[in-house]
Amino acid sequence: MLMNPYPFPLPVRSRTLISILTVLASLTVFSRADDWPQWRGPNRDGVSQEQGWIDQFPNSGPPIAWKATVGLGFSSVVVGKGKAYTAGHANGSDTVFCFDALSGKELWKHSYPSELGDKFFEGGTTGSPTLAGDRLFWLSRWGDLYCYNANSGEIIWSRQIVKETQARVPSWGFSGAPTLYKNLLILNVGDAGMALEAATGKDVWKSGDGDAGYNTPLPVTRGEKVELWFANGEAYFSVEPETGKEKWRFKWLTQYGVNAADPIPYEDKAFVSSGYGKGAALFKIPATSDAEPEVIWKNRVLRTQLNGAVLVGKHLYGVDGDTTGRAELKCLEIETGKEAWAEPGFGTGGIIVADGKIIALAASGELMIAPVSPEGFKPTARAQVLGGKCWTAPVLANGLAYCRNSRGDLVAVDLRKN
Amino acid sequence: MKRRVFLQSTGLFLAGAPYLLGQSNPARYRTALIGCGWWGKNILQEAAASRRCQITALCDVDANVLEIAADQVNTWSGDSPKTYRDHRELLEKEKPDIVIIATPDHWHALQTIDALKAGAHVFVEKPTGHTVNESRAMFKAARDSGRVVQVGLHRRIGPHHVSGMDFLRSGKVGDVGMVRLFAHSGGGRENPRPNSEPPNSMDWNQWCGPAPVRPFNGKLHPGGWRNFLDYANGTLGDWGVHWLDQVLWWTEEKYPKRIFCTGGRPISGTPVLNEKEQTTDAPDHQVATYEFEKFTCVWEHRKFAGNASEKHAIGAYFYGTKGVLHIGWRDGWTFYPSNDRDAQVREKSGLQEPDGHNLTLLWADFLNAIEQKRPAVASIDNAHRSSVLPLLGMISWRVGRSIEWDGDKETIINDPKANELLQRPYRSPWKYPEV
Repeated sequence: MLMNPYPFPLPVRSRTLISILTVLASLTVFSRADDWPQWRGPNRDGVSQEQGWIDQFPNSGPPIAWKATVGLGFSSVVVGKGKAYTAGHANGSDTVFCFDALSGKELWKHSYPSELGDKFFEGGTTGSPTLAGDRLFWLSRWGDLYCYNANSGEIIWSRQIVKETQARVPSWGFSGAPTLYKNLLILNVGDAGMALEAATGKDVWKSGDGDAGYNTPLPVTRGEKVELWFANGEAYFSVEPETGKEKWRFKWLTQYGVNAADPIPYEDKAFVSSGYGKGAALFKIPATSDAEPEVIWKNRVLRTQLNGAVLVGKHLYGVDGDTTGRAELKCLEIETGKEAWAEPGFGTGGIIVADGKIIALAASGELMIAPVSPEGFKPTARAQVLGGKCWTAPVLANGLAYCRNSRGDLVAVDLRKN
Repeated sequence: MKRRVFLQSTGLFLAGAPYLLGQSNPARYRTALIGCGWWGKNILQEAAASRRCQITALCDVDANVLEIAADQVNTWSGDSPKTYRDHRELLEKEKPDIVIIATPDHWHALQTIDALKAGAHVFVEKPTGHTVNESRAMFKAARDSGRVVQVGLHRRIGPHHVSGMDFLRSGKVGDVGMVRLFAHSGGGRENPRPNSEPPNSMDWNQWCGPAPVRPFNGKLHPGGWRNFLDYANGTLGDWGVHWLDQVLWWTEEKYPKRIFCTGGRPISGTPVLNEKEQTTDAPDHQVATYEFEKFTCVWEHRKFAGNASEKHAIGAYFYGTKGVLHIGWRDGWTFYPSNDRDAQVREKSGLQEPDGHNLTLLWADFLNAIEQKRPAVASIDNAHRSSVLPLLGMISWRVGRSIEWDGDKETIINDPKANELLQRPYRSPWKYPEV
């Protein structure tokens, strides 16, 4: 269902395939599987195909390859072509950073004046940059949109979307990353998104006036066609990438309009979840835009305020609960919504999955690695890599796990074997 | 007490078996909430958890907010409240026994008075009014109705406030000659934010109600209205009232004789309000001096620099001949003796988290006051007198001079211009309540 940029089914685990892989790798873009160029990874599902990294730490803890201070915020890291990018806020400005991914050497940065935006939290940047080839796209909470040369930091084009289009800023600002689809740059701005020419930044289509949600537009292949899945302040919905025409809509009211987690496609269905006590649902995607989605199940087992869950097989792994409560890490069956297990004390951290293992960063800053299993959460490795609070999921690329906290301490934890 | 804690912590499990809540529960108050935001629902959860209330109606100017709140109520207690966009229609159709009012300050007076006239007991958020004469009208309406009014000054009943006040009254602090109240936080320059259309589900005109209509802005709603003087009174109104209430709780004096307040926005900058964008307009710092007969009380707040040089960022210092008592928030209270050979005395706070309040106790007192036909702990009498103090501070700040207050007649002496600010014009068709 998801777009898969790779010419064969993944993951490939068997060592017997290594020779085939070696040949394929030289012919294909396989090496990109080790990068993490965008929010929630290469396939936008929180899963990396990377293998061969350590799942146990020495007593002294895992080595830290490098550290940096990037400013206040919750922006995650994206990695490609040996460079790592993120953003943060300090002294009235947001800054977008480019580091050497392995050494941490700062290669370029760009700052612009920006509001702290500390309404009910400490504020700072909340979205993530998006890397596409040699371009890096960045959308601030308040509508500053930049297209950079990813190598040099040179601004290729920039816009102030809010001032230019009068788009409504949702309560906590825009937090979805820009999504590249073919020649279009898709933003979660407006009632149902907007699209620009990625090359120039010119408007292609816009939607009506309304509160955007906080998710990142998700390209989903259904049959022959690709749809873009969004959240806004009152629904999850899908649009045609080329025109913005709405294909279906699932009403989903959450307190303060905070629908933040990316929806998850499953067969001919979609899974959605929001926090503030709301809960989750699995529904069948309707055939036409005026048809009502059929709800398969709906309950309050998983209430995702921030980071979307990760689907592995028939089980979802994700955080239940809000930043202000006692959030737990949970596993549930996607087909029934039934809880398989719950791990208290996790807080509103985040997880990703790679090579059959969960890499989890608890809100407290504890990094854990555990096998993906509906039987329970049994970490094989634990280390305190940061002070709290960590509301940003870790990122794995080329053997390094990038973790940050709200203060802007960024650490690249070295998970490489020797 | 133990039972209540149990019920709260298992609220979600009970939701699966709402029939449990309906059993053996003869005295259930038909309860309505006006203003279904964050704080309103904190109060409403207490009503649900008390098992003594049936939540029958909700009112809000935003249809989505209403739908979400009704769904949440159903998970707390199994109740299925009716929803209303206009509080007058709710009062007429539902005839509630209890009305909770958790709207912004500019709506408190009209809604409280309407609810009392409809025969309901009222739990209204602090401060009572947005201007002094609104608060007086609320006081009068409460007296005329004979109903119980509880105001959300939960620090009147919070465990460490009660024990701190006992300590203060025991004489261990000595004679107190000065009180300093404060709320400090970090911050800097404020950038304007573009105005926008309000949410499609929201009636912005009704939200503004009797107050001036500003262009909708994400800084204002949800929650940010506290720092817009059309709808509230900034940090002095929001936080100051809690600590000034502690002073009136402690002293035998009814009111200060003279008030002087100064402050401004040197750090956050000149307020912006135009068709395109706006900032807040409340002062980024204020100092207000309240002169009582036997002591001086100073309020100060600052939204920059933090307070790293002192031990506490928020609360009240009572300066006595035997030492300094600090009553705070999450840091409980601490007594610093003048004689440094004596040991400090501390008491932890016992707040409800995550929001650090004492609403379970305040709600229980409210229901007990109704049943025992007695005034509530944060009664309109107490809360009116406490709410007037930040409002008078704001008047002094606006006119730029000290004002002399006759708290018996509730007028400012020999200052017609300041007296004009005891009320403000209402936007048509709303009528300023009569005192």
